[in-house]
Amino acid sequence: MQMNADARQDFALAFLSILFEGAPFILLGTLISGFIDIYLPAGTMDRFLPKNRNLAVLVSGLLGAVFPVCECAIVPVIRRLVGKGLPLGCALAYMLAAPIVNPITALSTWKAFQGQAPWAMTGGRMLLGYLIAVGVGLIVSRIAMRRVLRKSLADSIENKSHESHKTDEPPSCCGHDHPHDHHHDHDHSHSHEKADDSRLIAAMRSAQKDFVDVGVYFTIGVAITALFNTGIAPGAIWLDSLAGNPAAAPAALMALAFILSLCSTSDAFIAATLAKFTWSAKLAFLVFGPMLDVKLIFLYQSVLRRKFILVMALSVFAFIWVVAVAWETWFGKVVLP
Amino acid sequence: MGNMVRKGGATLSPVIRRILFSLAVLLWAAVILYFYQSGRIVKYLAPDFRPIAMAGGLGLAVLGLFNLLTAFREADCGHDHGEGEEHDHEGGDMSPLASLILMTLPVGFSAAWTKDGFSQATLARKGLYEDVQPSETPFLASAFPAPTREEIENTHSKTADGYLQFSLMELFFATGDRELQDVIGGLPIETEGRIVEEKNDNPNGTRMRLYRMFMTCCVADSRAIPIILEFGKEPPLLPDNGWVKVAGTMTFPEENGTLKAVLEVTRATAAEVPPEEKFLRR
Repeated sequence: MQMNADARQDFALAFLSILFEGAPFILLGTLISGFIDIYLPAGTMDRFLPKNRNLAVLVSGLLGAVFPVCECAIVPVIRRLVGKGLPLGCALAYMLAAPIVNPITALSTWKAFQGQAPWAMTGGRMLLGYLIAVGVGLIVSRIAMRRVLRKSLADSIENKSHESHKTDEPPSCCGHDHPHDHHHDHDHSHSHEKADDSRLIAAMRSAQKDFVDVGVYFTIGVAITALFNTGIAPGAIWLDSLAGNPAAAPAALMALAFILSLCSTSDAFIAATLAKFTWSAKLAFLVFGPMLDVKLIFLYQSVLRRKFILVMALSVFAFIWVVAVAWETWFGKVVLP
Repeated sequence: MGNMVRKGGATLSPVIRRILFSLAVLLWAAVILYFYQSGRIVKYLAPDFRPIAMAGGLGLAVLGLFNLLTAFREADCGHDHGEGEEHDHEGGDMSPLASLILMTLPVGFSAAWTKDGFSQATLARKGLYEDVQPSETPFLASAFPAPTREEIENTHSKTADGYLQFSLMELFFATGDRELQDVIGGLPIETEGRIVEEKNDNPNGTRMRLYRMFMTCCVADSRAIPIILEFGKEPPLLPDNGWVKVAGTMTFPEENGTLKAVLEVTRATAAEVPPEEKFLRR
């Protein structure tokens, strides 16, 4: 693809602006993930969640209310939590719900939709986002891990699981396992002061490694988003022509959300200005976008298999579309006359 | 320490990998902090996001420097790894060199290419030549409750020659609010923005277009906010896409079935470039 000077200028501006906006949130996520990696004993999340598998998924879908993380930051966190033994269904439920079911997103949605049934839009967004997330979580909890996770991640988890079964040792006094049959050249002294210093370095290295892993996919996603973003207007004309069609409008706005790759904390401000579109189409935009967009497709690939991402994307798209069309057909005018 | 990278990069030692990753992180930090420190960040991010970007840049700098300075030190993760299991706290799926290139080249090239503004073609795609429809702005109309003329005069500064100073955003979105049109229509108004050629419905060549960018979070989501300038004669020579202050009478005529915001200009002068485009959510 050849780019002239104007196209390069436009691409660079859009690319850098999205990168500046998203990089701090990825850093936050990777710092959390790095420290989880080193400091959080394996299985902690298992102990934190209800023992019942279905109930655990339902609770996981609400964790965003306690740990509000946007969609950029959640992926590295999830990667580590899965590696630490968080059940996959719970991880997916948390990953999909957290960017929507959190107080920051709720506040921004409510604020953006003043004058446009803000409570209905905010509540509808939270509820639909939660239902889809736990729905995916419940389904995934019944699927073999290898059909969902990247091969390298699945291998790593299986190795850890295999090893923990082999050693079957109780945790030590400091809350984590100390190696007794270690085969690395680690310093095995029990001096906690020295160990703390050493573990901090390990945590920072892990965080940096996660940042680079996610940053690579983020860069690719942002680059593609910037290319679409700077050429979006012909699509906008096409979109306008679909606004009055109750079946096409939700699909069109979900496609727009996918391309724009907006942050869930701010996308409501864009959706609120799409006044030609129906309430349910905007709802589809606000629920689908934080779950799946161009940059997320690339970020998800650091955790999930491509085939699973494709199936999940199509399923979520279809489900939201059905809900949006049904709502508009039966209840739309009740919410927004 | 002696482990070599097995995934993706067969010959790089962990130390070199750490150094490469640190350099990638430090480049991101340097670019973000440079744009923040130079003030250019105002063209990229809305005010809410600028301190977050700065904090992110500083955080990246700390992360990269910390890992660079400790690259040669050994570190114990503190938990067990099984026999034969690869120590994956730092191992990745991609070659470190490939990661470094993918992380740095797009950022580096973009920092070199950017001119802190969109080209005319992209501005057109972002709504420069589109007119707002009355039904398009219930949210924004609701954000501006219909004021009285007296309230308008009390809340807007007046120039020495008697023009009320309005932001371009108020004038643009008044097109979607009948009550506001009734109040603003006919008022002597001064506003500022960038001036460009009018390409729509300009048979006599007496019109230009005034615009600014409306940004919610970052410039990628920005939209052009335009009004039409009607000079009634050949427009004065002003720098294309340059900043101008214009004064005149505000009108909202319906043309070809579309309501338009038209300022009938009596005065137009080149203006200083403002420090930032302040059309943000308010």
